[in-house]
Amino acid sequence: MSLFLIAALPFLGAVFPALLIRAGRNAAASSAGFTTLLAFIGLMLHAPAVLRGEVIQASVDWLPGLGLNANFFLDGLGFLFATLILGIGLLIIIYARFYLTREDPMGQFYSYLLLFQGAMVGIVLSDNILMLLVFWELTSLSSFLLIGYWKHLPEGRQGARMALAVTGSGGLAMIGGMLILGNIAGSYDLTVILQHKEAIQASPLYLPALILILLGAFTKSAQFPFHFWLPHAMAAPTPVSAYLHSATMVKAGLFLMARMWPVLAGTPEWFYIVATTGLVTMVLGAVIALFKDDLKALLAFSTVSHLGLITMLLGFGTKIAAVAAVFHIINHATFKAALFMSAGIVDHEAHTRDIKRLGGLRHLMPITFTIVIIASLSMAGIPPLNGFLSKEMMLEEAYHTTWLGSHWVIPGLAVLAAVFSAAYSFRYIAHVFLGPKRDDYPTTPHDPPAGLWLAPAFLVLLVIFIGLNSNGVAGPLVSAAANAVIGDDLPYYSLKLWHGVTPALYMSAIAVIGGLLFLSQHKRLEAFWNALPRPEAKVIFEALVNGLVRAARAGSDALHNGAISRYAAIMIVFTTGLTYAAFRTGTLAAPTRSVQEAGVLPVIGWICLVVATLAVVMKHRNRLLALVLIGVVGLVVSLSFNYLSAPDLALTQISVEVVTIVLMLLALNFMPKDTPVETPLGKRLRDITISIFAGLGSGGLIYALMTRDFAAAPISEYHLANSYKGGGGTNVVNVILVDFRGFDTFGEIIVLGIAALVIFALTEAILGSRVRARLLNRKPDMPRAGDAHPLMMVVATRVMMPLALMVAAFIFFRGHNLPGGGFIAGLIAAIAVIMQYMASGFAWASERQRFFFHGIIGSGVLIAAATGMGAWFNGLPFLTSAFGYIDWPLLEEFEWATAALFDLGVFLAVVGAVMLALESLARFAWQPGMETEHAMDINPARDDVAEDEKEA
Amino acid sequence: MITLAEFLIAFFLIIAGIFGFVGSFGLLKLNDEMSRLHAPTKATTLGVGGVLLASMLNAAVVQGHLSLHELMITLFLFLTAPITAHFIAKVHIHLQESRDTLPEAGGDGLWATHDTPADED
Repeated sequence: MSLFLIAALPFLGAVFPALLIRAGRNAAASSAGFTTLLAFIGLMLHAPAVLRGEVIQASVDWLPGLGLNANFFLDGLGFLFATLILGIGLLIIIYARFYLTREDPMGQFYSYLLLFQGAMVGIVLSDNILMLLVFWELTSLSSFLLIGYWKHLPEGRQGARMALAVTGSGGLAMIGGMLILGNIAGSYDLTVILQHKEAIQASPLYLPALILILLGAFTKSAQFPFHFWLPHAMAAPTPVSAYLHSATMVKAGLFLMARMWPVLAGTPEWFYIVATTGLVTMVLGAVIALFKDDLKALLAFSTVSHLGLITMLLGFGTKIAAVAAVFHIINHATFKAALFMSAGIVDHEAHTRDIKRLGGLRHLMPITFTIVIIASLSMAGIPPLNGFLSKEMMLEEAYHTTWLGSHWVIPGLAVLAAVFSAAYSFRYIAHVFLGPKRDDYPTTPHDPPAGLWLAPAFLVLLVIFIGLNSNGVAGPLVSAAANAVIGDDLPYYSLKLWHGVTPALYMSAIAVIGGLLFLSQHKRLEAFWNALPRPEAKVIFEALVNGLVRAARAGSDALHNGAISRYAAIMIVFTTGLTYAAFRTGTLAAPTRSVQEAGVLPVIGWICLVVATLAVVMKHRNRLLALVLIGVVGLVVSLSFNYLSAPDLALTQISVEVVTIVLMLLALNFMPKDTPVETPLGKRLRDITISIFAGLGSGGLIYALMTRDFAAAPISEYHLANSYKGGGGTNVVNVILVDFRGFDTFGEIIVLGIAALVIFALTEAILGSRVRARLLNRKPDMPRAGDAHPLMMVVATRVMMPLALMVAAFIFFRGHNLPGGGFIAGLIAAIAVIMQYMASGFAWASERQRFFFHGIIGSGVLIAAATGMGAWFNGLPFLTSAFGYIDWPLLEEFEWATAALFDLGVFLAVVGAVMLALESLARFAWQPGMETEHAMDINPARDDVAEDEKEA
Repeated sequence: MITLAEFLIAFFLIIAGIFGFVGSFGLLKLNDEMSRLHAPTKATTLGVGGVLLASMLNAAVVQGHLSLHELMITLFLFLTAPITAHFIAKVHIHLQESRDTLPEAGGDGLWATHDTPADED
């Protein structure tokens, strides 16, 4: 199966549980299970090749310019992790089906789980570090959803947030590190980077890259001091904990360290950072785990400790230690997943996972007891189970490693951690299952149905088999994975139980005896531990986050206080300052063009413009007057466009003006007609100064621009030359819109449609709130006129409607060759309809509305898209336009271009968007069901008939 | 023929100029709002109308082609000018006058602008 398909399957499958949950929980679970099984089988088909040492690759150049390629490769390490992810994922899916209750939304659960699974598979199969980063962030996001799955629990939400904050910020650091790494190696492909060990380690940027990448790995793998998120993530449902914290999420960090091991490891920096962090984490996690009463918390800290162990092994930088690390990854995944699942079983059956309230369960839950005893003993490192083997290898390596010249630090601390590790493993058995049977369990516990214990039982079978026949069961996998990490020349190692009387054996014996001793003294130790002052990670984290939030808020509140005048002031001051700086530091060439003579007409227009603008400033407190003056400004601007040979712009401007003024009139209906003086004089003076400077600045800029030739030849020459030849139209503006920059236009009509939909949605939301009642009870601030729909206006607008639509059609059809086009035609058509709304009333107009504006917008976008796609069928790029000439008798020869169809899409989208926006705003005043005074019918006699009928 | 046409064109232009001027002057000079309303409506209809007639004649006779744009402009003017005047009058009645200051409306009893639902209650 293609690697693409293996990586994509979980993502594709994520859709099914969410849909199939309607067909029942079994359907949802089995759809998730079969997807995973399929991916797993696909992976296993590659097993023979990978175990032979081959590397399977699949690649597609996605964005080669950015170095972002969709490259996947499967080597031993990726195969090991993918096997764990998909295999344990399958078990978790079965387990979760029986674990989750009826109240839990199971479809959602499996969708999240598959998303997460896909992201994890993506990480381990990626050959491109940019892709890897994308998947890395995806795991942070999807694990956030999984950890916070029980949304009603505050612990769940807090835990999810904490996990996201810690792993997400680590991921950000890692992006930096990866980019540095890619830069040094000259490629973002992992396979290339992995061959540049010398260049990377010699680079002065090696240490920053190392630290940044390790930050990402450490946060993900819960290494000290970032370990605190993992226990809090235990608020998730147990299947999530079992999946995330045994086999996947936290192992992603380890995977990354193992993946990068060939290029990053082997330096003193690597050794001291990684090995020390791992060591500290291992000891700390083991010590804390012993004193946790919550079963899952115990397992969480034990996970932290084991992650520390593996990190330390990778940190040693020796080949044999890397082999041990790989082996322990397998072993830890098997026994820890089994333990998490059994903790879930205890919780599920006894309704508590507080160790202090449990004990004596061995008679009540014999199957669970058997599972737990095997998995725990493996975790404690008791032969002949698999945990013993890898722990032995770890101790052996620790024994040979010196830290800052000391032979004792690492072995001593490793033994200490092993002692605590054995102690908490024994405690899990002794305090939960051994001891006298109690009669105060929250419910009577008993063994669960097979669905719950089959998955962990399968895992403990693996625990035993790997322990007894490690070479046979896990040997090929370990050697393939280790090969991928350390290169071809594997050191001599043997995965067997008996290595003779070695120091590691003594250390193991000490660990077991010490563990038993600690367990017997648990009460005293616990009292001592509780008396110790300890920093509470959650409190520190919350304080840190709150501090950051306060700091961010202080910054953003000062800038974003909700006053539009402040935003405008900030933006304008900044822009003006920037432009001034550019002006001062740059050079200004001498003017190459002379100033032209101005005729009488332009001067009159200019005077109108200036007077109207000044009048707006003086009279802006009277809003109605300001609106009239703005209309004057718009009119003069349109005229000047026309004068300056831009008829398209003029047409657009004038129709936009009309629509805008109508829109503002609508808004003004709900607002006071005057604005009081609100700002103090100082502020107004400040604003005046800013605007004067900005105005002079932009005026000067435009003057400078217009008195000089452009430094580079403008593109307009190209457009002029090719508009008729290539686009089949003589109206260059229209050809630019529908052809040269058709894709821009396509995007713009989508944006326009979205904006209209947003206005509609906001109106809906507002009208759904208390505002609706207030609007209905609104007392107008001015006396209402008696006849809302004056006869003359109604008649005139109805006469105008066909005329206006005719004009719109005319403008539309001539658009390709003469001023006009879909956009202007759309505005004119919208105005034709708006007139009806204004004159005859909202109720009258909407009664006669056949098509919803949403649909008009959508059809416009779809028509434009379909036109664009039509080019594909002719083997041309999207939106290439075709045109030809048709000669029908009686009519002049006329042109038929696909651009006209595209323009039709623009037309419809514009009509729909403008109408939807205006309709939404109008609905503040009118709402469905409200009877307004009826405008006259086309035949007024019909009104009288209707009235008679009503009365009768 | 051409001379006659030119004479007519000049005539229409002068008419248009006079009415345009009178309209603007009246807008400034007249005291009462209702009276002032009359001035600009004359200016738009007769003043602009004169220019349009002149333009059509000029195109047809002097330049030798038919131009009908002006008819459209006339149509739109005839549609919009009365409505504008009508609205200005209504606003005046609405804001400045009360029922007592207005003459009787006739059969229906009230001027439409004052015929608000609140009054019926």
